Amino acid sequence: MSLLTIKDLKARVEEKDILKGFNLTVNPGEVHAIMGPNGSGKSTLASVLAGNESYEVTGGEVDFNGKDLLDMAPEERAREGLFLAFQYPVEIPGVSNVNFMKNAVAEVRKHRGLEQLDAKDFLAFMREKQQLVELSGNLAGRSVNEGFSGGEKKRNEIFQMAMLDPKLAILDETDSGLDIDALRIVASGVNKLRTKNNAFIVITHYQRLLDYIVPDFVHVLYNGKIVRSGTKELALELEEKGYDWIKEELAEA
Amino acid sequence: MSEAMTRSILSDLVAGAKSPATYKVIRSEVEGFLAENGIPSKKHEDWKYTNIKRLFDNGLHFVSDKCAISNSKVSGLEITWSDDENLIGSSGIHSKEVHAALNTALFGKAMVVRVKKGTHLEEELVLNQVVDLLENEFSATRLFIVLEENSSLKCQYHFSGSGAESSLLNHTTEVLVGKNARLELNFVQEVGTGNLMTTTEVSCERDSNFTTNCIQLSGKLLRNNLNIRLRGENVETHLNGFYMINSNELFDNHTHVDHLEPHCESNEIYRGILAGNSTGVFNGKVFVHRDAQKTNGYQSNNNILLSDDATMNSKPELEIYADDVRCSHGSTTGQLDEEAVFYLRARGLDEFGATALLLTAFASEVLNAITNEELRSILEEKIQAKLKEMRA
Repeated sequence: MSLLTIKDLKARVEEKDILKGFNLTVNPGEVHAIMGPNGSGKSTLASVLAGNESYEVTGGEVDFNGKDLLDMAPEERAREGLFLAFQYPVEIPGVSNVNFMKNAVAEVRKHRGLEQLDAKDFLAFMREKQQLVELSGNLAGRSVNEGFSGGEKKRNEIFQMAMLDPKLAILDETDSGLDIDALRIVASGVNKLRTKNNAFIVITHYQRLLDYIVPDFVHVLYNGKIVRSGTKELALELEEKGYDWIKEELAEA
Repeated sequence: MSEAMTRSILSDLVAGAKSPATYKVIRSEVEGFLAENGIPSKKHEDWKYTNIKRLFDNGLHFVSDKCAISNSKVSGLEITWSDDENLIGSSGIHSKEVHAALNTALFGKAMVVRVKKGTHLEEELVLNQVVDLLENEFSATRLFIVLEENSSLKCQYHFSGSGAESSLLNHTTEVLVGKNARLELNFVQEVGTGNLMTTTEVSCERDSNFTTNCIQLSGKLLRNNLNIRLRGENVETHLNGFYMINSNELFDNHTHVDHLEPHCESNEIYRGILAGNSTGVFNGKVFVHRDAQKTNGYQSNNNILLSDDATMNSKPELEIYADDVRCSHGSTTGQLDEEAVFYLRARGLDEFGATALLLTAFASEVLNAITNEELRSILEEKIQAKLKEMRA
């Protein structure tokens, strides 16, 4: 059975239609890359799947692991195993990373019927996951994302993903703005978390990330729909030729 | 109701109190002041949003045997009840403001907490005042806290219980912080449907350190006048407040810091959360006098409104007459950061959990100024409970 099935999804923000009939099926163990020019709807897709109420779903269905995703509150989606690595992680002054993660992990474990971790085990668990993305220990006591560099914020997203152990992770332009070292760290964190039971949707503007996180499928999103699907070679072709040839082909058709 | 009638209510109130004979001189002064001024109405700039006169107009009668202050025993600390006229108004408050004057005219014996020279008390003093006033009852109480040179004290003052909606407690605290003395004074105001008017008049001598935190959790009307005078060089003072105002409650904090001498520092943070039809008032004034060079003065007031019908009136004021100072002030009033709520929900916290985490963090800058961990955790629980009420 597929993990995620999106059928004819339509969504708008502030009266503007962004997604115009989006279809995608993701199976466990797969990595899908979604590429596309600016304004094609990539981030809208991520926000809609995570349940951001600023976006209005106007049509279509999303089945996540046998359940109606669009019917769930954002927190239910997270507890069911959907994770969004934000393009712009939010700074939350006064809330420490450790306190934030304690609350989040407790909710997720409760929902999944897992025993709660005691304070000592939790800290050990947190340290282990921090190492995965080479985050230093003193970040734990600092406020969530406050004063973090761009790279630290993105590594913090992958760290949170490791803590919450999702079935499906959506990485929304996690690579944009990262230097080579941070990109390598983020990608290696993701690769270590890949299993045959989970899946990833990697939204990116650039092919570079896909050298590190090798996708099984590459889709091109344009004007709210997938207009091309292929394998990693498609990403290389896009890198070389840009998006214009696709736009031109579509215009001719 | 006319000013003349208000004045007659005042004189009836004052006449009804059986005060110790020793207060005679100062009280005749105060009665003159009251007769001249009357209770200020909303026309008065300092009372623009807070109608306390209404309570007087509805009729208040004085009761002398209620709302007694009780205290914990702290070894090495002297606590007495005094009617010494030389002590009353030693901070000079009785002729400045009507409610403080009224307090001076009416209170019985004052509780006097005195920390002797060179005494550093480890144990915290806990004071409690149960507000148990019935309809139209009015009570006035007075506390002195005196820290002699080189001494230190931590004190928490709880206003608890619940008064009738037509009652009023007028409490005044006079604080003298001696040379090189340190005082932390934490107020917790939680008086149900009661009305509370407090005046805190603080005088700090050189090299002293004074911190006060006020946590306001319930009351139909709470009004605090906090006046701090930095009378010597090298004084550091912190004044913080955190308020949670719901339904039809009105909480009003007026603060006034006088920088009179050079090289002093004042830090002020007032933060609050408002819901329902509630009203908040913050009016903070930092006054830097001509001689107070090298002053560091910082003031901020931040508010989060959880409903469309709540109102916050914030007025930070800075008045500077010295030319070599560093001062800043600011005020913000806004809604909860929806992006942050979504971010937390996307990690599995439900809406209330996310809101509570953000609002607790908002409160933490004030709460962390309270050094007693036990008190802090009690307050955190109370804050959670009030948040549940506010989100209901």
